[in-house]
Amino acid sequence: MKAVWLFSTALATMMTLSSALAAPGTVLRDEKIYAQAASTSKVVASVKRGEAVDIVTKQGGWLKVKAGKTEGWIRLLSVRSGTGGVGGAGVGDVVGAATTRSDPTRVVAVAGLRGLSQGLDEEQLKQAKFNTEELARLEANAVKPADARTRAARSGLVATNIAQLPDPKAAASKSNSPWEESY
Amino acid sequence: MKLKLMIIAISLTSFSGIAGGFDFGKLIEEQLKRDSTQPAPTQPAPTSQPAPATQPAPQPAKPKFDPFQFGMTLLKDYSIEEEMRIGHQIAGNLLGAAPLVKDNALQQYVNLVGNWVALQSGRTDIPWRFGVLENDAINAFAAPGGYVFVTKGLYRRLNSEAELAGVLAHEIAHVTNKHHLKLLKKSSVIGALGEAAGRKVEGSDQIVQNLIGNGAEIMARSLDREAEFEADRHGMVFAARAGYDPWGLPNVLQGLATLPNDSRTSLLFKTHPHPADRLATLGDAVGERFDQVSGKDLADRFYRIR
Repeated sequence: MKAVWLFSTALATMMTLSSALAAPGTVLRDEKIYAQAASTSKVVASVKRGEAVDIVTKQGGWLKVKAGKTEGWIRLLSVRSGTGGVGGAGVGDVVGAATTRSDPTRVVAVAGLRGLSQGLDEEQLKQAKFNTEELARLEANAVKPADARTRAARSGLVATNIAQLPDPKAAASKSNSPWEESY
Repeated sequence: MKLKLMIIAISLTSFSGIAGGFDFGKLIEEQLKRDSTQPAPTQPAPTSQPAPATQPAPQPAKPKFDPFQFGMTLLKDYSIEEEMRIGHQIAGNLLGAAPLVKDNALQQYVNLVGNWVALQSGRTDIPWRFGVLENDAINAFAAPGGYVFVTKGLYRRLNSEAELAGVLAHEIAHVTNKHHLKLLKKSSVIGALGEAAGRKVEGSDQIVQNLIGNGAEIMARSLDREAEFEADRHGMVFAARAGYDPWGLPNVLQGLATLPNDSRTSLLFKTHPHPADRLATLGDAVGERFDQVSGKDLADRFYRIR
């Protein structure tokens, strides 16, 4: 009995340690690994899209990762945490696609277990009735822009001028996104 | 323009198909009434000028139907008033599915952060309202007119004010880009009108309800993948403009990428591209652009539930 307890304690400790030290990640694009969290630092390795890495820690827009024997820094947006693959958009991303697809049987199960699950599902949204009281509470807790400005200043937040990011797809293909006002 | 004509054609055929039962007349009448009371239309739309100033008395039994006018009504950009009416109806219905967390300090905190971020979005013509929904699902919602909601399930996963700002900024971007209004206008108008035929909703605006479909189901509909990517790009920029660490939203997406598809995440995953796709696509746009941008994390200022 004692042995079992000791074993499970040891196991739990090991799991805690390993999760604290590193979490699995997958590289999303062919990318460099740098010695420091800066692209001006030395390149210590290169990784390919789909490669597995261990995420050690993060700092701003950078992740410290272990790739094979090398350790270094990679851009935060070039890695996904978790092991589900590189996503559903690419070719042959079977694993990613599988995690993306919603499982219809599961949805049915959720709908059937409404009392147990608090997850907000499509059926609940469809059946929803206008709630005047809650909308009044929403209004009552609204704040004025001036209050938000004051509070931001008190928190040391300073508004800065930053340009919009370009749409990489539009730049690549010239074809407008259907969400732009193109018609 | 070609698309416009095509949509009109479709609307005409669907109308003749549905016929009778549903009160299209009332919708048009309402629209016309509003148009004629507007002193100066914001968008010049010479072809959609309302009927003569002297309005004929409403004929509930057999309303006059001008197919061309109807087509133009559907295609015209929504006015701010219409946008706010639509958002009001959706928000009220969404709150019927999930009420607000009973913590006014939390709700006000989220409004202070959200308004500050919204001030950087360029849309100051609408009053912004933010709320945390009492629900374990992991999701966030935006409705036209400046309504933004985060579920308690998602809020609990956040670690800093910068992450909250990032999530709110993504939703704010849906509003500033009018993604849901475009969805309504583009695909659902005819279908929703037909589907909602004869449905009665007590104590709320029937016309708007007909437009948005049943309850808050529009919140369960997927936007175009490109709209989600666009909201990620704009959201990251809005949060950074507000002085926050720009990596708040990416950090939240990293967290979402590790979650299994279960009852808490099924709606989020069904209506959004996979977090891995969102990170990769956002990375394509960001590249080195934020290398010199730093901001505040404000983990210590973050309001933690309970």
